[in-house]
Amino acid sequence: MGSIIKPYQIAIPDSKIEKLQLKLSHVSFPGQTSFSNDRKYGAPLDDIKRLAKFWQEKYDWRRVEAELNKLPQFTTTISVDGHEDALKVHFIHQKGHKPNSIPLLFCHGWAGSFLEVTKILPLLTSTSSNDSEEPTFHVVAPSLPNCGFSQSTSRPGFGIAQHAEVCHKLMLQLGYDKYVTQGGDWGFLITRAMGFLYPNHVLASHMNFILSLPPSPLHTPLLVLQYLTGRYTPAEKAGLERTQWFRNEGSGYSQIQGSKPHTPGFALADSPVGLLAWIYEKLHDWTDKYPWTDEEILTWISIYYFSEAGADASIRLYYEILHPATTAEGKAAPTMESYMKWSTVPLGLSYFPQDVIVLPSSWGRTLGPVVFEKRHEEGGHFAAYEKPQLLVSDLRNTVQKVIGR
Amino acid sequence: MSTASDAIEPFRIAVPDAALEKLKAKLALATFPEEVDFSNDREYGAPLDDVKRLATAWKDTYDWRRAEAELNETLPQFTTTIGVDGHEDLKIHFVHKKSEREGAIPLLFVHGWPGSFLEVAKILPLLTSGDAKADEPSFHVVAPSLPNFGFSARTSKPGFAIRQYAEVCHKLMLRLGYDKYVTQGGDWGTMITRTMGKHYPEHVLASHINFVMTRPPSPLSSPLLCLQYALGWYTPQEKAGLERTRWYRGPGNGYTQVQMTKPHTLGFSLADSPVGLLAWIYEKLRDWTDEYSWMDDEVLTWVSVYAFSAAGPDASVRIYYEATHQPEDFRAVMGYNGKVPLGLAYFPRDLMVVPSSWGRTLGRVVYEKRHDRGGHFASVETPELLVADLRTMFGKKSGIGAKLPF
Repeated sequence: MGSIIKPYQIAIPDSKIEKLQLKLSHVSFPGQTSFSNDRKYGAPLDDIKRLAKFWQEKYDWRRVEAELNKLPQFTTTISVDGHEDALKVHFIHQKGHKPNSIPLLFCHGWAGSFLEVTKILPLLTSTSSNDSEEPTFHVVAPSLPNCGFSQSTSRPGFGIAQHAEVCHKLMLQLGYDKYVTQGGDWGFLITRAMGFLYPNHVLASHMNFILSLPPSPLHTPLLVLQYLTGRYTPAEKAGLERTQWFRNEGSGYSQIQGSKPHTPGFALADSPVGLLAWIYEKLHDWTDKYPWTDEEILTWISIYYFSEAGADASIRLYYEILHPATTAEGKAAPTMESYMKWSTVPLGLSYFPQDVIVLPSSWGRTLGPVVFEKRHEEGGHFAAYEKPQLLVSDLRNTVQKVIGR
Repeated sequence: MSTASDAIEPFRIAVPDAALEKLKAKLALATFPEEVDFSNDREYGAPLDDVKRLATAWKDTYDWRRAEAELNETLPQFTTTIGVDGHEDLKIHFVHKKSEREGAIPLLFVHGWPGSFLEVAKILPLLTSGDAKADEPSFHVVAPSLPNFGFSARTSKPGFAIRQYAEVCHKLMLRLGYDKYVTQGGDWGTMITRTMGKHYPEHVLASHINFVMTRPPSPLSSPLLCLQYALGWYTPQEKAGLERTRWYRGPGNGYTQVQMTKPHTLGFSLADSPVGLLAWIYEKLRDWTDEYSWMDDEVLTWVSVYAFSAAGPDASVRIYYEATHQPEDFRAVMGYNGKVPLGLAYFPRDLMVVPSSWGRTLGRVVYEKRHDRGGHFASVETPELLVADLRTMFGKKSGIGAKLPF
């Protein structure tokens, strides 16, 4: 049987680009008020107008596409229990330069994509120093199903376990029986699930977005005591405030996406400017003064706009995670909380202050054996993109503790 | 102080041709979500087939000009300019129909989101023509488009919250010569009319609400209600109502969470995509009603009022942000106000359907009815039931009508 892994080049049809242009030329913006640019209310009008104009007049997708096609991209097909037999999965795969490179799965989230690996890719597949001890990595960075250039899934119930299955089977197909994982956003939950489901394969997991169960009087009374007495570092207190802000003011999108994803999906599929605003607000609010260029923003949004599955499909994951489906055998699928229980996979945790959920270190330690932990003073949600050096350093430190090199 | 003229001008809806053409052009370019096995599973949101069918009708067969003409013929409409403290002078669009009967009661009807002045259409002829021999009161009806909705102006400063909406509505009644009046409202109309009752108790002689918002019982302020809750001492209807309320406050609340935190982000989608706007509103029209058979034309007229609104389809959702960022005003709405006699109507498929004992914490309840059918948009779904409520509540023999000075 021939290999199902094929090289891939992004090639968006002309007709899609023309349609985008037509839609942009017909755009209708909200009416101006004195507070149209007040970020508390959402994406600023001036920013969106400027970006839409740039998108229409100057942004050159073909040039960007050609640049992206320099990345080593492939597709394969993967069968998923109870779902597609041959789901097309797009991924970046770059082998490390040194012998005995360590296989690494990099798992993105929402509103990210495989683009998030681009800055850390050279740092992981080669080493700048002459340190012969420091390993390189074989890096695998898929587009999750329903995102980027992977196929859409057609049945309900394609949740965390299914995403974990896809990522695991991808690694196996590439000949990586044992591997480490790196993830943020949904990548946190997906790689955690991989640790629970495939414990003999996941050597270590590094996360830059850490969710944990809150302190409970029954299970973690000391954490409750710590919470009540407020015995946190200033950074941890600031993190809890940031988390509170996110819960109160910043998570409306996840509430609607987690309950009625199809409803906003119509606007996301139909309006490039609607999609732009929906995602751009996050790119700004979730990062630590990252100096986004207009081209960068539009490339991130274009991956959603030109995605195989359509811009609306990716948000279904929020619903699936909150509504774990019963399996064919009648078993209830694990809830999100079940992936936050203690796991034996060695963990590396990186806390970035402008991420959206930033919990105290003691809470993170309930996730499993934490072999490496770092609280940074700068950086936000998209750590691999905002602070590639910091993230790579943390990842290397984590792996070093587990594998010894 | 208002520097605007007090003139009241007749108004006819006349959406410019350019707006109609732009709508059709966008609909012709519409891109729909890709179909999957569960595209029509309503648990996930607006069904794909419904939205496609409606969008196609909107583009090809729906006749806005005919709907517009019918509205202009059946609803007597006007505009006037009202100044609001700390904000600007606003052109307010409203429906106003006087009853021919002596002693008719001035009634302010306040819509909510995603409603509009359209919601008065079915009850208007009934309210203005009560049968005196049957102790049916008659009403002079005033139904405005709230600022940022329908054909009223867009507000331009932040902080235009419930207090300001109440001020506009009150000043409108005064402008029309109704120094004393009664109110009817649901959705935001509940909050706005309750706020009017709080701030203008000499003018608001009674209020009827079909969306009963209360605080849940607290051990401190209402221990008996807490006991009732703990023991589950409710009628089957009340229990069902609590279930419905839980659904609304949980899975049914996503749209509120977005609108009250990042209305502008959502606004770009609502302003730019007619299909997006259609789906956003249509999902509510289905989920919030009691098997009401929406005709496609009806849905499209409702959505068109948003699409063609003076303020733009994005502006109306700001009310969620403004109201929730003024928690004092919000809390006041749910507190006890003994000055304004209150009528409460509970419809089983409304969104918050609380036990009757909770409703009575709102004030002096002179009329109360738990209906066995109907949902959120009572005046559209079950106009005869809502009108019956009002006729009974304001009848001279059946209700408080004899105490009113009209």
